[in-house]
Amino acid sequence: MNRIAAALLLILALASCAQRDNKTHLYLQRFFGECGAEYGGNIDVAHAQGECGIITTLVNRFNAQNPDIHIDVNVVAWPGYPQLTAQMAARDPPDLVTMHEGVISDYALKGLLEPVDSYLAKAGISPNDFTDASRLGVTIGAHEYGLPWDTHGGLFHVNTALFAKAGLMRDGKPVFPNSAAELMAQAHQFEQRTGKPYLIQSLVGDPAGAARNLYTYMMAQGAVLFPDPHHIKLNTPKGVEVATFFRDINVQHLGTRNMDTPAAIAAFINGEGGIYPTGTWMIGSFEQEAETPGRPLYKSYAVFPYPRLWGKRVEYVSGHSWVVPMRKRTPKQREAIARFFKFMAAHNYDWARTGHIPAFKSVLADPRFMALPHRSDIAPLAAMGRQLPPYVQRQSAIEGLVGEEAAAAFTGQKSVPQALADAERRVDELLGHLD
Amino acid sequence: MTAARDWRGLLFALPFLALYALILIFPLMRGVWLSLNQVDLFGDGHFVGFGNYARLLHDPVFGTSLVNTFEVTLMIVPPLTVIALFLALALNRAGKGAAIIRGIFFSSAVLSVTIVTLIWRFILAPDAGLLGEAWKTFGWQPLPFLSDEHLVLPALALTTIWWSLGFPMLLFLAGLQQIPEDMYEAAALDHSSRWTTFWRITLPSLRRTLVLVVMLQTAAQLQLFGQSQLLTAGGPSGASRTAVLFLFEAAFGRWELGYASAAAEILFLIILAVTITQYWATGRATGADGGR
Repeated sequence: MNRIAAALLLILALASCAQRDNKTHLYLQRFFGECGAEYGGNIDVAHAQGECGIITTLVNRFNAQNPDIHIDVNVVAWPGYPQLTAQMAARDPPDLVTMHEGVISDYALKGLLEPVDSYLAKAGISPNDFTDASRLGVTIGAHEYGLPWDTHGGLFHVNTALFAKAGLMRDGKPVFPNSAAELMAQAHQFEQRTGKPYLIQSLVGDPAGAARNLYTYMMAQGAVLFPDPHHIKLNTPKGVEVATFFRDINVQHLGTRNMDTPAAIAAFINGEGGIYPTGTWMIGSFEQEAETPGRPLYKSYAVFPYPRLWGKRVEYVSGHSWVVPMRKRTPKQREAIARFFKFMAAHNYDWARTGHIPAFKSVLADPRFMALPHRSDIAPLAAMGRQLPPYVQRQSAIEGLVGEEAAAAFTGQKSVPQALADAERRVDELLGHLD
Repeated sequence: MTAARDWRGLLFALPFLALYALILIFPLMRGVWLSLNQVDLFGDGHFVGFGNYARLLHDPVFGTSLVNTFEVTLMIVPPLTVIALFLALALNRAGKGAAIIRGIFFSSAVLSVTIVTLIWRFILAPDAGLLGEAWKTFGWQPLPFLSDEHLVLPALALTTIWWSLGFPMLLFLAGLQQIPEDMYEAAALDHSSRWTTFWRITLPSLRRTLVLVVMLQTAAQLQLFGQSQLLTAGGPSGASRTAVLFLFEAAFGRWELGYASAAAEILFLIILAVTITQYWATGRATGADGGR
């Protein structure tokens, strides 16, 4: 019996030994979800859908086209910064990481990211090729710290069939409000005629969404959110007005209240509400629903930037980029990173099919991009988009704090002034303790 | 026994002591030192004495996280102990059926917290969740377990009890199998009722196991983290943020390593105090009752 067990153990040990290859390995860490079951071995980028499908097939294709290189992928839950920070603290960071542009300065100023100028030069990419917003997002001083990959922000995803039923379609386009009062009136009309909520909201476990709404409509009113690197200003008449508006939507039962992001996505796909305010990243998936006969969204989907409700038509946006954490690398690995950058830059159009605004001017002007569904409708986002000032550190953590308090104000768990004051206190305390 | 012999004996314990000091004592001391500094994960920082502790005392978010931690621990430990005990009593018998049912009840314990929270999200989500759909069939409005500040801690407690049931049940089963059969035979000869047998024989015999289960579970639930992070992200509005989630967010979300270390030291002292108090109180009771 013991001999059999020993033999089995030996076989298991031998079978566990991986064959050594002569490839150059790069360790890539990303968010955007896990979809290996659907796209595991797929290299057909043109037919991949959604962020996860497209990025998975892109990496598969890179591996297939570069037999001397292998990208090992680790998928982390969005946004993945706690894990990355822990890896960096343990001095074992990945070679390539997806990073929001607002977060780059946190890591770059600590010397944790490599400037990527040399990789860009090897890949034949000039920073002049980037859109203005993208270039601004990855540049610190005289150096680029990432390959920009997109600009993304919030959009109003619309169920046009329900809008038509509510009498809110004109010339084939949804009728959007021009003020907060108009939105409330239209929402009541929608609710009365369809019996469904005007807004589908993911207010549970989605601080980014609540922060995006607050930032956007405060920026629209010309509010200076960060007057200096150590303070945020939210508990102002403009902030109170925006938060009270979103709270009123809930008080008057014009929006869903108890949904997290997966539930809100499912509700929109199943035609359970008029508008789902979420990001550019959902366009590809919703468009697929809109093209599938028999689905509730079939031929009933449109998407536009957030409407102007106050002041100017501006919107809070961010951008994804590829960054290279600082660590020892062989010349072959550096060469592989440059080739990865070249490949990804060449496929920026494919990424833009997710719904994101491309990071390269040439793709933005590419007729193929403008021919994609809804792109002419969302194109204004490129001009409307505003990022937070580059001197603001810990933007991801701040988004979490602001979003948590904003959601508490919107849902009535706290009074509006209390929630905004709490957000200010927590953010100021964080910024005040930065060395 | 000579002094020289004592020293030679210590040499045998030295490898263990060295390893223990390296992986436990040193990190503990390092944590204490970090808690006295304002330092992020990548900087040198500077000494602030008890500044981080003073800041924690005035931080309502930390205060709420401690209250949440105590509440959820109280919601978990007593029912978990009682349910595990009664399951063990019910399944303490020979036969394939009992073995299979024991395996079924233990099976949740082998799942990772990620899977557990995924399962319970499908059950608790008010829109299309299992409980929500069941509620709707009765014509009731589904309860928002994950977004109502009064329901979210009970939801975490429910999830944790389901997940943690297996191990205490096994401890109780082991304890039950240590009770001599002749005690039950004597009780049967005296025509004692089931309740009397349980109250006079089984429960006193299980006292040490009971204390062990309560102490282990209290220490474990005071460190509850994964369920809170994955199921509710500490929300809504911090209503399910536990102390460990607070210090995780401070250390790895905001990079405030010194501040997070101070929070960790406070939590460590609380767990130590609770455990010692339980040990002392139950020890006194055991001594007074002359328990086994």
